[in-house]
Amino acid sequence: MTDILSLRALLEPHDLTFFAGAPYVYHCHHYNLFHDQTVDDVLGEERGLEVRKNAAHSAFGAFLERIFAKADASTIVEKVQLAQGLISAMGHGGLEIDLESGKATGNFLHYGFAWSEKYGSKVKRFEPADGFAAGCIAAISSLARHGRLGACDVQELACIAQRQERCEFSIEDKNVDLPPAIDSVGYLTHLGDSEGGIWEEEISAIAKGLQDFVKGVAGDERGLVNAFGVFVTMHFANYYNETAITAVLEAEEKRPSSATAVEGLFREAGHVCVFNTFGNILLSPEWEALVGPLVGEPDEIIRACAAMARGLGFGRWSVAEFEANRRLVLRSTSLYEGPWYLARHGKSDKPRAYIFQGAALAFMVLAHNVKWSERPSLTQTFYDSLFRKGLGFKATPTKCVTMGDAYSEVIVEATS
Amino acid sequence: MKSYLSESAQQVPGLRGVFVTAMPDCLLFDSWTDEEAWNADELATYFGDLVRANRRGLRSLGSWSSDMSVTIESADTLLVLAELSEHFVCGCVFERDVPLGMVRLSLRRFYETIRENLPQITAEERARAVRLMDFVHRYAPDPHTVLMRVSARTGISTEALNDPASLDEAQTDAIEQAAKRILGLETISL
Repeated sequence: MTDILSLRALLEPHDLTFFAGAPYVYHCHHYNLFHDQTVDDVLGEERGLEVRKNAAHSAFGAFLERIFAKADASTIVEKVQLAQGLISAMGHGGLEIDLESGKATGNFLHYGFAWSEKYGSKVKRFEPADGFAAGCIAAISSLARHGRLGACDVQELACIAQRQERCEFSIEDKNVDLPPAIDSVGYLTHLGDSEGGIWEEEISAIAKGLQDFVKGVAGDERGLVNAFGVFVTMHFANYYNETAITAVLEAEEKRPSSATAVEGLFREAGHVCVFNTFGNILLSPEWEALVGPLVGEPDEIIRACAAMARGLGFGRWSVAEFEANRRLVLRSTSLYEGPWYLARHGKSDKPRAYIFQGAALAFMVLAHNVKWSERPSLTQTFYDSLFRKGLGFKATPTKCVTMGDAYSEVIVEATS
Repeated sequence: MKSYLSESAQQVPGLRGVFVTAMPDCLLFDSWTDEEAWNADELATYFGDLVRANRRGLRSLGSWSSDMSVTIESADTLLVLAELSEHFVCGCVFERDVPLGMVRLSLRRFYETIRENLPQITAEERARAVRLMDFVHRYAPDPHTVLMRVSARTGISTEALNDPASLDEAQTDAIEQAAKRILGLETISL
């Protein structure tokens, strides 16, 4: 597995990360659950599951094909073992796949486990939560049994999120249509010149430290990465982009009255991500060891957030302007949403980098609405309270690489 | 009313907080507490729901009466819930070590004082869509996203959802379906 993990590469100076040619990023369970929930809110549970499962099948499968070739895995058992190990190493939990019987079992699968931890006491779940794992099992089965993707489909029959003991899946031979997965070549085709901003030297140095740190992060005995108070996954940009953009485009086409809300929800996903992952990294001992004690000044938080975005593989995010309590101009010449959109859909007539937009707002919220000196617990109650009080800032996307601009830009300004 | 409630509450021995809930919507009407960590809006809602469920249970047993109360004892808290009138529920949170007899005696006088200061209310029949939106806002995770989530599920714009009284029957049904999904409920009884 160590040899395989060495296939991870950082594309400098864009701060985008690739694993055997597949674009990947780190996201926490708060983001992952909100993202999938939004896909299902827009598309409904049945269609949402299909889109999520097929996006996972495509993203994980394209990556797995290259891994199998590099590892010279030729037998079924080699392929299954290798794939199960990768799922765990990336923080997605434990899978046991039995292709003879056409069944698979999941223990501590990231989505189902995290859902039951976060929402289990508040909401009863009617459908299984592990569409991503189901898609990965379908990819493994397709490649191991048939030597090609899209040859198997998988149903999750039992799920820990539905208060069952473990997650269980059935595998069947069935042709499924898969969306394309964009690889590093597709990204490179659509990347322009890289550009930095203010505090560039400091942001780059912190980002470099984080990039080195996260390289050492891997799943525990459960196959989960429990770090910074969240469950972290090494995840595929193709999965996030495919599912989010499919949901947005279908809403615009079929139910345009709700399209603005749908875009708002995907921005909120970016906000959730920064608050939980970035916020908890700032409070972690690992951060203190890497950067030094956190003082909590607004400019310090903004620099840290830009560095964390780079460190987690979101792309080269730079601060063009910053005035405490008033204004932030966040730019990126490369973000994991941009080249993907251009490669998959061509130029857009509107900004499509929703994570970037939501994250920019969250940068200002973290910088000004959290009393870092008090070492707060970044709980759900605290998060909800920020909105009750009013965030005090609004974000406006002004440029976007998905529209053919040289960089994406979001201006965040105080509302009063 | 607020200063009045505060003054009289502080004369009740061992009282840590009082929450007056307006029914049937389970919304906070008034409260007093020194506990900064307590969210009065949330507590008023939970207490109102608890009394409503209790009322239904007792009615099913055929033993409901308007002067019933609910007493809950936990490790460090004594909670007493009572219906002050058809439209108001009162939840009083006491220190755990206050004798129950003392609590009941104090509350008898305290309830009377509160009742004298409650407004006379004629219940207004609110549109089902309004009640559904209130309900889902109250119980959904991430309440600030509820409007967007209901819009995504129903196809109704957030502007229209902000004025739920104006929605038609089909839109109201769509909101109910969305609310059930968001809250993980098979039925919603409002």
